Amino acid sequence: MIEIQVKDLNFYYAGDHKVLQEISLDIKKNSVTALIGPSGCGKTTLLRCFNRMHDLYPGNRYEGEILFEERDILTGDVDLIDLRSRVGMVFQKPTPFPMSIFDNIAYGLRLKGTKKKSLLSELVERALRQAALWEEVKDKLYESAYALSGGQQQRLVIARALAVEPQALLFDEPTSALDPISTAKIEELMEELKKSVTIIIVTHNLQQAARVSEWTGFLMLGELIEFDRTEQMFTAPREKLTEDYVTGRFG
Amino acid sequence: MKRETARKLQSVLALLLSTLAAFFGLFWLVFILGDVLLHGIRALDINLFAADPVPPGVEGGGLRNAFIGQLLITFCATLIGVPVGVLGGTFLAEYARGKKFSRVISVLSDIMVSVPSIVIGTFVYAVMVRPLGHFSGWAGAVALAVIMIPVVLRTTESMLSLVPWTLREAAFALGAPYYKVIIQVVYRGAATGIFTGILLSIARVAGETAPLLFTSFNNTFFTANMNGPMPSLTVSIFQYAMGPYESWHEQAWAASLVITLFILLLTIIGRMFIRLRYGKK
Repeated sequence: MIEIQVKDLNFYYAGDHKVLQEISLDIKKNSVTALIGPSGCGKTTLLRCFNRMHDLYPGNRYEGEILFEERDILTGDVDLIDLRSRVGMVFQKPTPFPMSIFDNIAYGLRLKGTKKKSLLSELVERALRQAALWEEVKDKLYESAYALSGGQQQRLVIARALAVEPQALLFDEPTSALDPISTAKIEELMEELKKSVTIIIVTHNLQQAARVSEWTGFLMLGELIEFDRTEQMFTAPREKLTEDYVTGRFG
Repeated sequence: MKRETARKLQSVLALLLSTLAAFFGLFWLVFILGDVLLHGIRALDINLFAADPVPPGVEGGGLRNAFIGQLLITFCATLIGVPVGVLGGTFLAEYARGKKFSRVISVLSDIMVSVPSIVIGTFVYAVMVRPLGHFSGWAGAVALAVIMIPVVLRTTESMLSLVPWTLREAAFALGAPYYKVIIQVVYRGAATGIFTGILLSIARVAGETAPLLFTSFNNTFFTANMNGPMPSLTVSIFQYAMGPYESWHEQAWAASLVITLFILLLTIIGRMFIRLRYGKK
């Protein structure tokens, strides 16, 4: 089943600098889709279209459609607050807020108006369990989130995004600042999460894309060169460019 | 070989000169502080805080009115200056980030920081004291606030800019509107820095005399009425030190000591917060 459908998407940064050209692809529900490509190819730009992050900066412009639950999310009347609570995002560097672990997880819930303490506690615990962090932090929920290690912080941020029960999660190179063990934990986590959430991940690490994703899109210079099942992309790509990239001939 | 000797000589010379310069500066600092301490302690007694001034020539009396006046004026200046400074800094760092006029305001407030305080005193005299027809504690507070605002504004701006942009994006990504991002995330991240800036700006204005001379003026009586002329420690020190009576001089010394210690304390607390924030990491 298709969760997100991108149709002829063009994207311009302020000053009419075109970075995405005629992108069309279907994101399958409850799967992991990886976006790969050399630096500056537009994969992060594409990722940030899904929660309209580009709207934070004046002058950016979209063309085309992104259908999410059969609704175009690029139109002006989309409630961005609602959209962003349904499409969560995890960044390259861990971004815990300067507050306690509990308050971090509860942040999105409180934004949505959940006030009751007992309900909050319940949802916070569930999110932390989902992110496989509960056992490590259950005794220090009210300590600063900055006291956690980088890998724990990244799982905390994932838990924070999960707390509001999003349908999709966007990962922007989530493990590039982490050590191999933490990376492995995050990858395991994605495997688990895709049962309930649709995941789109931007990664520089081709092995990671091969390990975690079912679908892979290869971008270059703002164009989607190829989009297919991950096995296909890594074993028998149709395009010469894709083959050169996944075999490490450039990039 | 010869070049190496020359280099060593240059190095020794540079070290010598900079050490001498440091000691020269330090000497005067220690001299001033020591002098204030010596004279001040001798004249320090409980009456200084508990009694109001007595007519010239009469022994005894204190500066209770000036202490209270100073505190009131500084407190009101903080009430005016801090919100304006913090909100202004927030505007520059957040809403007007990267805009040209934001840079212009930043540069202007840097200039404001170094404007001689007497100029600000005369300015407030012209816009407040003259039109109202009398000196007042409020005018003094406004003058001090005008000095505080650029300091607080610039610290707030730079502290907010230190908060990583991705932290804001993370909050936006959860669906937070901008004002909540600022209040709940950015301010928290920058809180110690902003608080330190506020403390240091209070320390900065607490020792000002010139802006008060033309605004709150002075008063030999105890008053809590901010609408009338109001005594302050710094102006009293100025007046007493210039006066012809020995007892006035002593009280001026004692008051100097107290205000120096107060500012020292504020600065130390401010520095401690800085260390708390940046020292451990």
